[in-house]
Amino acid sequence: MKVTRRDLFVWGAGAAAGLVFTPVPWKLLDDVSIWTQNWPWIPQPPRGPVEVKQSFCSLCPQGCALKVKTAGGWPVGIAGTSTNPLTRGALCPLAFGAHQLNWHPQRVRTVRHNGVPSSWSDARAAFAKACSEGPVVIIDGQPGRAASTVLASFAEKHNGSYRVEMSPETRALMPFESWTGVSAFSLGYDLENAYTIVSFGAPLLDGWGVPGRFTRLWAERAAGRSDPQLRLIQIEDSLSHTASRAWKWVNIRPGSESAMAAGLARALIEEKLVSARGPMPVITISAAASQSGISESALGELARTIVARPPVLAIASNHNPEIAALNVVLGAVGAHGGVVRRSKRTGKYIPAEAQIPNARAVLIDSSVPWDFAPDSNAEIFRFVAWDGGLQKCDWLLPAAGFLEELTDIPNAPTSAVETYAIAPQLSKPQFEIQSAAQFLVSVDPTLPTVEKVIHSRCEELFHQRAGTVYGQEVTGVAKFDSAQKLEAELEKASTWVGDPPPPGELRCELREWPPTMIAESSQNWASTWNAPVLPPLATKLYRESSLREAPGRRTV
Amino acid sequence: MSRNSIVFGFGLAVALFSGWVLFPRALYVNQHQPIEFRHKIHAEKSGITDCAQCHVFRDDGEFAGLPSNDTCAGCHSDRIGTSPAEAKLVESYIKPGHEVPWLVYSRQPANVWFSHSIHVKRAGLNCTDCHGNLGESDQMHLYQVNRISGYSRDIWGHSMSRLGRVPGDGMKMGDCEDCHRRHGVEVGCLGCHQ
Repeated sequence: MKVTRRDLFVWGAGAAAGLVFTPVPWKLLDDVSIWTQNWPWIPQPPRGPVEVKQSFCSLCPQGCALKVKTAGGWPVGIAGTSTNPLTRGALCPLAFGAHQLNWHPQRVRTVRHNGVPSSWSDARAAFAKACSEGPVVIIDGQPGRAASTVLASFAEKHNGSYRVEMSPETRALMPFESWTGVSAFSLGYDLENAYTIVSFGAPLLDGWGVPGRFTRLWAERAAGRSDPQLRLIQIEDSLSHTASRAWKWVNIRPGSESAMAAGLARALIEEKLVSARGPMPVITISAAASQSGISESALGELARTIVARPPVLAIASNHNPEIAALNVVLGAVGAHGGVVRRSKRTGKYIPAEAQIPNARAVLIDSSVPWDFAPDSNAEIFRFVAWDGGLQKCDWLLPAAGFLEELTDIPNAPTSAVETYAIAPQLSKPQFEIQSAAQFLVSVDPTLPTVEKVIHSRCEELFHQRAGTVYGQEVTGVAKFDSAQKLEAELEKASTWVGDPPPPGELRCELREWPPTMIAESSQNWASTWNAPVLPPLATKLYRESSLREAPGRRTV
Repeated sequence: MSRNSIVFGFGLAVALFSGWVLFPRALYVNQHQPIEFRHKIHAEKSGITDCAQCHVFRDDGEFAGLPSNDTCAGCHSDRIGTSPAEAKLVESYIKPGHEVPWLVYSRQPANVWFSHSIHVKRAGLNCTDCHGNLGESDQMHLYQVNRISGYSRDIWGHSMSRLGRVPGDGMKMGDCEDCHRRHGVEVGCLGCHQ
């Protein structure tokens, strides 16, 4: 019997049809997909004891408490610490996958000078030379840390300038700094005692401040209730995550937040809904209504609604003096449920955006968001863990990645109370890294190290004998026998929380209504802290951010 | 019957035979445990009746997994029997201080997080619900490793069709999902994947 070409085709068709009814295609698909997880260049945690350790996230200034699962000493999983009084177990999607970031392809692994591999000694020599030739500007993204003290000390000692890149939350508090004389870094929002919160585009339920703080409050006092205990009024130009869940969403024209705030203040004063504590805005109600795209009657009704359930607090998404002035009119500055002074520290900082004339070099700490670019022709030394691309710098210096260095965690930007915590190193760096503070200490060995500053902070806390430490147990600082024991407790990732500030600590003097400024566009939470790179786990979650809903809906 | 039907049927039969008989044999490689271990003998001779006596939960509630040498050395610091397996355990592992490199039937990929503590202590599942009657077995069954994925055949289950499986036969994500669905327990992606 002769086998024809047609027979081969028919046989092949039969075999193909038969294969569909075997496990071959489906099993191969399954196995190959698992095989791709085990490619040799994909880091695999070592086989070893699985442990759960505690630390804090230092990716952004919020410093959320973490429960870190390690296998053989490698972090392999992240969850929130539910016992932490500030974060209350919540995390942003970025933190959930942050342990993957240390192996990201865009991790900066070597020193680079103008894109060419170089060495730490060359970088050190270049920086020392720059310091000897002219003033140096040092930019920090998370002031208040022990590392910040090292950076500021270096700048002071070498006739340089120490500047700070502020978070949007801190920028929103900046107007109060000039009216009260208290640093914006010592101010916070007493959300827990507020009954009505008027948010001008601030993504309160979607990444603003410490993720767990407002979402928990909202879930406990507002979610799903027609007449909630905590009224959230979202004034925003789009139906954002926060707007869609707020008690009331007021849709205004883009960029009209300032006019809206001024119009509300005028309506409150004219209708005598508040005892006039602030100056009268220049703008008329009709002009404010016209600019913001709502009717005059709606604006008046909104003003009455706002004050119906005090205390009332207005929150801006970024620097906006008119929204801050609305708080003065509402009597929210220095009051329960308003803007409060959490700390007696008086340090004020020069913003990083300020002009940098005649600087010989600019050193940028790894805490500064990647999208910040200094307005200077000076030689730029940039410490980063991940190269987000599109930024020019002369020196790219590999910094510690996620949980790769010991650091301390000062107050979160919006916190109403002072806090302090220590984030222990839980992951060993895979290559030679240095923090900016270590680098400066190597240039000038007379500077204190981060460890020494942390010791002295703990001693300071101990001698103040105030506040409470939240760890496995809740212990008053007064009960600790020594500063060493307090430090040992904090090294176990406990959190020191200061006593609530007494009311009336903050006096605000606002004689004239601030001039109108062009409002910066409201930011969603994904843009308040721009991650240079995203871990695979967070890529989708980070954009959609549905994890940050109320605790009852959280499935993690 | 036409010639085309016969040729087509022949191709079909070859594919079915290859897919159901030859493919599984080619896909898996047999491996042997470093020591022949018998759960049944341990249960009968030493009176161990509860899995948790050797597969302990630590003080913090976490499951310790396979017992370490320390647990075995509680009885086998020196030979107490005559079996070659025990001799190998004592001489090759316990006395030199090397952990036994057991081949773990239930080992999952590194991105899977499973809490025995939650499932056993909170949900009240029995060990046999997932591991079958391994504790009553007279000898450890053959460890078959998948050439492509590198994991045990026990993860997929012994039936290539995955039909008619008994408890403990198969530990795929779908099996976890089925059980969760049956018990009305909802977890998101991050409940298991980290």
